[in-house]
Amino acid sequence: MKRVVLLVVAIVLVAGCESMGKVQPWQKGNLAKPEMAFDPDALEARFADHTYFSKEAASGGAGVGGGGCGCN
Amino acid sequence: MHNKTNTPARSVIAAALALPGLLPSSAHSQVTAPNATLVQFKFLYYKDYQQSGDRMTVKSPALYLLTPITDDWVFEIGAVYDSISGASPYYHTTLSGASGKGIHDARKAADVTVTKYFANRTSVAVRGAYSDENDYRSTAGSVTIRHATPDQNTTFTIGGGYSGDSVFPTVGTPQTYYKRTYDAIVGISQVFTPNDTGQLNYYYAHQSGYLTDPYKAYWGVDNRPMVRAQNALLARWNHYFESADATLRTSFRYYWDDWDVSASTVTLEWAQTLPAGWVLTPGLRYSTQSAAWFYYDPVYDPILGAPFPPGYLQNPNGIYSADQRLSAFGAITAGLKVSKAFAGGWIIDGKAEYYEQQASWRIGGDGSPGLETFKAQMYQVGVTRKF
Repeated sequence: MKRVVLLVVAIVLVAGCESMGKVQPWQKGNLAKPEMAFDPDALEARFADHTYFSKEAASGGAGVGGGGCGCN
Repeated sequence: MHNKTNTPARSVIAAALALPGLLPSSAHSQVTAPNATLVQFKFLYYKDYQQSGDRMTVKSPALYLLTPITDDWVFEIGAVYDSISGASPYYHTTLSGASGKGIHDARKAADVTVTKYFANRTSVAVRGAYSDENDYRSTAGSVTIRHATPDQNTTFTIGGGYSGDSVFPTVGTPQTYYKRTYDAIVGISQVFTPNDTGQLNYYYAHQSGYLTDPYKAYWGVDNRPMVRAQNALLARWNHYFESADATLRTSFRYYWDDWDVSASTVTLEWAQTLPAGWVLTPGLRYSTQSAAWFYYDPVYDPILGAPFPPGYLQNPNGIYSADQRLSAFGAITAGLKVSKAFAGGWIIDGKAEYYEQQASWRIGGDGSPGLETFKAQMYQVGVTRKF
């Protein structure tokens, strides 16, 4: 059920792109701020991924080819 | 076709803005080569513990460098050294350290990424990663392709990776086990308004081989399936509040796999810009997960006792695990990051976080009973320079 809800959200998001995404280059000053990046701090994101990968059952979603570890 | 937004006046403005130094640096959803070098050093101190004793402590110095080699080639390198010590549970929350057998390990990991940017708003990134411990080695590679629409408001991502890992436990008969992971990602990032940007990724990983924890198998009972298929849907949304000069970063991930684990994870970060280059970022994360189908609660076989699950004698080669990480629980992280920018492109930052797992915090089902609460503290300090 949850998967269906998420798929619907996904479709709405993608469909929304058609009408909303008309931002012009000169309107992108705020979007270019470092804080507006999805992962603004490279090493902080790596630490977080590594920590939760070794302490919880769920992982993944942001990128591929992370490589494993024997983390206890 | 004549696009009404492309009037001559706007073209002139756009052309003027395109002069060096006038155009705002590119938005993060775009596919444009970075034109500055970034060097970052961080030190992480991590410590986890439970009621009956301290568990692991990890000290990790890490380095990251991103530098454009030419206008359209970018080189990245990351390296980390983890110094690990302490006690890991044999089964459930029963600690190995309690019987005097602490763990000492050092993990050295490095990765290199080379990205080529093409004129048609496409980038191809090739990454190689290597990680080495006393008892574990991983060699991984991946390719990620990104492509942006002509207005640079929509970016598509597709990627694939492989990781070949070897496990050589330091207990029992010397033996090397193998495991491999294939993973893939498809994603879309979209600029919605001058203050809103979002991203949606679907991630899939297929693991096969030796997925058991060799130490838990040796000291306790652990025998996991030879295959695991993992899925994750990650949605992220960032909003900039002009009135507050602050950014709200949000993310939601739904994860499910064929071990019957499903998890929902929400993160919220509020990056508050302050005068004199200060940024204050409080953050919250909540995650809830169900247990793997072969996880057994700490109720042991009436004859054999701990760590054996009930009925173990009838099925000694069955699939079992007493790993707390595969139990059902809810987890909360609360953190605060402080950073300050200095002249010359220097940034100094520090971050403190507290993490706790509790069965009673699970949403969407019951948490696994009979485990001690798991707690961790994480501290980071970092220096970054961009030039």
